[in-house]
Amino acid sequence: MSFLRFVGFSIVRAWQGFWRNAMMSLAATATVILMLVLLSALFIVITGLNSGLEFIESKVAVTARLRDDLPLAALTRLMDEVEEMPGVASVDYVPPEEAMRRLEESYREIGRELDLGDPDSNITLFASLEISLTDPDASSDVTARLSNDPDVERVLTKQAEYDTLLGVINAIRTVGLVIVVLVGLVVLFMIINTIRIAVYSRANEIEIMRLVGASDSFIRWPFLLEGILCGLIGSIVTILLVAGIWDPIQPAMVSIFQMPTAVSSRFLTTLSLLLLAAGLGIGAIGSWISVRSYLAAAR
Amino acid sequence: MTSLLRRRARPETTDAPVISMVDVGMTYPNGKVALADVNVRIPAGDFVFLVGPSGAGKSTFIRLLIREQLPTSGVIQVAGRNLLRMRRGQVPALRRRIGIVFQDFRLLPSKTVAENVAFALEVTGTPGSVIRQRVPTLLSLVGLHDHAHHLPTQLSGGEQQRTAIARALVHDPAILIADEPTGNLDPVTSWEIIQLLIQINQLGTTVLMATHNQEIVNAMRRRVLALENGHLIRDEAAAAYEREY
Repeated sequence: MSFLRFVGFSIVRAWQGFWRNAMMSLAATATVILMLVLLSALFIVITGLNSGLEFIESKVAVTARLRDDLPLAALTRLMDEVEEMPGVASVDYVPPEEAMRRLEESYREIGRELDLGDPDSNITLFASLEISLTDPDASSDVTARLSNDPDVERVLTKQAEYDTLLGVINAIRTVGLVIVVLVGLVVLFMIINTIRIAVYSRANEIEIMRLVGASDSFIRWPFLLEGILCGLIGSIVTILLVAGIWDPIQPAMVSIFQMPTAVSSRFLTTLSLLLLAAGLGIGAIGSWISVRSYLAAAR
Repeated sequence: MTSLLRRRARPETTDAPVISMVDVGMTYPNGKVALADVNVRIPAGDFVFLVGPSGAGKSTFIRLLIREQLPTSGVIQVAGRNLLRMRRGQVPALRRRIGIVFQDFRLLPSKTVAENVAFALEVTGTPGSVIRQRVPTLLSLVGLHDHAHHLPTQLSGGEQQRTAIARALVHDPAILIADEPTGNLDPVTSWEIIQLLIQINQLGTTVLMATHNQEIVNAMRRRVLALENGHLIRDEAAAAYEREY
């Protein structure tokens, strides 16, 4: 019962304190929102790019164009050897007719017909091996092995695309985290100052509280909750903003990043929890630093 | 009056003292000696004046009693507790055993008389039902029942000091420390405050009053502790204010 009184007292005092110092509190809350919006953008982009990376990972395969008229025995030997390499999931033979069919299909997908000029021309495509991998890192070994094989005309791989995207993700992740951390420091500074001003403006009250025998908890927690309140309001506003623009964002994410639609609802929940934790955390840390330094000096 | 504030059994002067200082010294980090070799024993129920010129060590004496500071030497016991052995978390409980009033009242200007008194109970986790019963009782004791909903700015100096005294009594303290309580008041109002402190003392609360008011000390003829340059130069029962101040 006394604990509930303490909680009730602290919440009421925090709420009163927030509005008594409304301009500063709202300014601190606005910076929390700014930080969380940036964090959301970073999270969305990074998650999307990671999803794209997974998509590419799943497709990373090595294609080996084979020398024309490769004897069946040589083809079988090559397939067996590659299949036994570590990190290789499967090896499929694509005959020239199948390669042609796929080429025609890909033209049809973009609304055009494949025009080979003279219908009687004897144009054929290369036969090839399509190697899918269980481990994308095995790509370089497989490529090296095939490049040195006299039966292989040319080796094609998606490793370059994969590496480029990985580089982009790492760069965005680093730059984004640096920006979020810098903005986070500004937010922390704002909250520390807001709570410090609140503490100083109530120095008389604090002194009276100490003199009449209020415990440290009764003195500290209203200020801690006031900082947490800035973080909580900032988080809720940001979550509502993200939820509001989620519908237009979602299809873009699916198409740009190849993100599975099924992930979307769980993604929003994860993002909301992240925003809530970040908002509450920075509010609590800022106000704790502020109250701790003041009360330690005042005691 | 007895029905308003719980009356304590008047203890014999030989009982364990409510305040005890043994060889207490206080030297600030800058080397200034605020108190030196102070030995004081105040029995429960006593009324004691603490006198001395500005800078004599009266404020340090009071700060040590409420454990706002710790002495650099000696032992202090208040209400049966050794202040040097007390953990930080135990200090609030000590302060509920000590009521304190100041020359400048230290009321919260945005709160009414009743709210100022209630505040001291709220911040110590007192249930609302107790607060609703206790506040009017205390306001009646100090004669402010009709001013419960006035703001401090609507009160005279004497009424503000009465409010501060009511707030100091919320936890029914064993000791009431009054630091120059009449310093900002005219002579008539000062006597009204003294009368109130005497009544509180008669109910069993030990009163320690720091003052420069020669007239009051001489008229009261109570025990006087005189400090000068941090030394206790006089500890005399039924004493008067002397010229050295």
